Amino acid sequence: MSISMASFSPPPTSFSVKPHFTHKPTPFFRLKRPFLLLSSLKSLPDNGAGVSASLAAAEDPSPKQKDLVLEKAMEGSAGPNGVATSTEVEALSKFEDPRWIGGTWDLKQFQKNGSTDWDAVIDAEVRRRKWLQDNPETTSNDDPVVFDTSIIPWWAWMKRFHLPEAELLNGRAAMIGFFMAYLVDSLTGLGLVDQMGNFFCKTLLFVAVVGVLLIRKNEDLDNIKQLIEETTFYDKQWQATWLDDTSSNNN
Amino acid sequence: MAASLLQNPLKTPFSELSIKKQKPCFLKPRHLTITATHPQLQGRKLRAAVIGGGPAGSSAAEALASGGIETFLFERSPSTAKPCGGAIPLCMIDEFSIPLHLIDRHVTKMKIISPSNLTVDFGSKSLRAHEFIPMLRREVLDSFLRTRAQSAGAQLIPSLVTHLEIPSSPFSPYIVHHTINNSRKTLAVDLIIGADGANSKVAKFIKAGNYTCAIAFQERIRLPDEKMEYYQNLAEMYVGDDVSPDFYAWVFPKCDHVAVGTGTVCAKQDIKLYQRGIKERVKNKINGGKVIKVEAHPIPEHPRPIRVRGRVALVGDAAGYVTKCSGEGIYFAAKSGRMCGEAMVRASDGGESMISEDDLKREYLLEWDEKYLSTFRFLDLLQRVFYGSNAAREALVEVCGSEYVQRMTFDSYLYKKLAKGDRLEDLKMVLGTIGSLMRCKIVGRHMEALKL
Repeated sequence: MSISMASFSPPPTSFSVKPHFTHKPTPFFRLKRPFLLLSSLKSLPDNGAGVSASLAAAEDPSPKQKDLVLEKAMEGSAGPNGVATSTEVEALSKFEDPRWIGGTWDLKQFQKNGSTDWDAVIDAEVRRRKWLQDNPETTSNDDPVVFDTSIIPWWAWMKRFHLPEAELLNGRAAMIGFFMAYLVDSLTGLGLVDQMGNFFCKTLLFVAVVGVLLIRKNEDLDNIKQLIEETTFYDKQWQATWLDDTSSNNN
Repeated sequence: MAASLLQNPLKTPFSELSIKKQKPCFLKPRHLTITATHPQLQGRKLRAAVIGGGPAGSSAAEALASGGIETFLFERSPSTAKPCGGAIPLCMIDEFSIPLHLIDRHVTKMKIISPSNLTVDFGSKSLRAHEFIPMLRREVLDSFLRTRAQSAGAQLIPSLVTHLEIPSSPFSPYIVHHTINNSRKTLAVDLIIGADGANSKVAKFIKAGNYTCAIAFQERIRLPDEKMEYYQNLAEMYVGDDVSPDFYAWVFPKCDHVAVGTGTVCAKQDIKLYQRGIKERVKNKINGGKVIKVEAHPIPEHPRPIRVRGRVALVGDAAGYVTKCSGEGIYFAAKSGRMCGEAMVRASDGGESMISEDDLKREYLLEWDEKYLSTFRFLDLLQRVFYGSNAAREALVEVCGSEYVQRMTFDSYLYKKLAKGDRLEDLKMVLGTIGSLMRCKIVGRHMEALKL
C-alpha cells in the first residue's frame, strides 16, 4: 500500500480537477481568509486538508484580528515517476503579524511611554497561540520560533495576574478572619490574643487559610477530590498484583 | 522458666516438676521464616516454556537456559518486523552485550516541538561525546537475542501456541498446545513465562485481567536524500492537541527511512486524524517522501492486575511494563525477562526443585517492583502534568530548554538510574517548572477567553 504521503488528495488523475473547481486557479491570489479556508476544506472532503480543528478556523474569522494570512501554494517537488507530490493548491495559512519578526516578538514595537508594554506582548502571544491551536502550522527549519514565556519578566506577570487575585483572596481571608474571630470571642470569651494561644484555634486558622487558597470555586472541591484519587490511581494499578494475596486465590 | 525446665529436666528434682501439662513454649526468634522445602524433582531438571520470542522472551529463555533449566522458546513468526520505535537506552548495550554493528543510527540530537512550534534542541549541549540513543531494527535485535538464547541452550520452537492447560495440583505440569506446520502438538512443562506481548494469550489463560492500551500508529516513509540528511542523527518529538490529545507524535530515523507516527489512549478512533496532523506539521520536511509501510500496535499503559499466577509469570508487554510519558518498552521487556528467568533459577536451585507462586512473587515481582516502581510512578506523574493540555505542553517545552533538565533527563533515560543532581539546581529546576506551568496556564486561560 503505497499511499503518497505528501498528498492528501485522491490519486493524481483527479486532483487536477477538484481544486480548480472551487479555487481561483492562481494560487497567489489573496482571497478573504474564511471563504478560502471553507472552500479549500470542501475541495478535499474525504482526505482532510489537515486536522478537524482547522474546520474551526473557518468559524473563527474575526476580521478585527490584525493578523494577515497569506495563502501560499504548497511547495511541491514534481516527481514524475509516480511519487505523487502535492502540486495542488492548498491553503497553507501561516501566522503573520507585523510585530512577529524572526520567530519572536519584536519588543521595540511594543513600546509605550518609553518602556515595553508587557501586557500587550502577553496579549499578542495569547492571540498567536490561539491562532496556531486552530490552524496548526508546519514547522520549518529556516524559520524557527524562539519566543517563550520566560522572555516576559516575572514582575510583569505578577503585576497583571497575581496581584489582583492576591487582593481578592486576602480580602476573603480578612472577612472570614474578622467574622470568625468575633464569633469565637462571643462563644468562648477569648480575645484575639488568647485565641492565637490556643491550639484548636490555631488549627482553625490554618484550615481557613488553606480553604481560601484552594477552594475558589464550587467545582474546586470536586476537583481536589478527583486529583487525590488520580494521583494514587497508577500506584493502585501496580499494587493490584499484591492485593490478590489476601483473597483465596493461592494455588 | 518452663524453657529452662525443659532444657535441663535431669537437673531438677522431681518435686519441682509440675504434674499438670504445660503448654509448650517456643522460643520465638524475632524474625521467623518457615519455608517448606519443595520436593526435589526425581532425576530430571525443571522444564520451562517461554511463550513469545521478542526481547522479553529471549532474555528470559537465555537466563533460564544458562541457569540449568530445560527451556523451550515459542515464537510464532521469527521473521516479522515489529512496529516499534526501535530506540533503546545506552545501558542496554552493556547489560545485554549487544554488538555495535546492529545499531542502525546513533541519535545525538533530539528536537521537541510545542504546539506553537517553539523548538528546543535536546542534546546538542547536554549529551556527552560518547553518548547517543541507539536506534535499531526490531527484527535485527530480536533475532540476535533469540540466537543467543538458543546458544545458551534454549530450544526454539517456531509454532503458534493455541491453548494452555492449567493443572489442578501444584506439582503437575502445564500442558502447552501448539500448532506447528499444521499439526497440533503438546508439550508438558513445569513453569511458563508469558512474553507474548500486548495481546497476550498467556495472560488470557491465567485470567490476569485487562489493561488499558494506547494505540501507536506509524508510517514508514522513505525520503529523498537531501531530506534524509536532516534526520541523519536527529529524532523529533511533537506535542500538541493536533497531533495527539494525550501523548506525543514522533519522527524517528531508521536505517534508510523515517518513521512518522503518533499515539493516543483516549481517542483511538481518531488516530488517523492525528496522523494527518503530524504529517501536516512536518510537511516541509517529508515532502517528496514515499510511504513504504503503515503499521499500528497497542501499547499497554499500566501493569495487569495479576502478573504471577500459579507457576506462570508475565514479563514485558504482556505484563504491561511500558513507561508512560515516553512509551519505552524494549529495555523493560528484556530486563523483566531476564529478572524473571534468574528468579526462577534462584528459587529452584538451578532447576533442581519445584517452585511455587510465592517463590515467583518474592524473587521476581518484589525485586522488579522495588527496582522500577519509582521510575514508572515518576513518568506517570510527568505524563499527567505535562501532556494534559496545550498550555502544559508549552510549559514542558519551555522547561526542556534548561540544560540541567536535559542532562538529568539523559542520565535517567540512558542509564536507567534516578539521576543524582545538584540540590540547588534541582530547586531551581522545580521553581522554573512551576513558573513555566503557571505562565503557560495563564496564557492558556486567556486563550480560552478568546474563544468566539
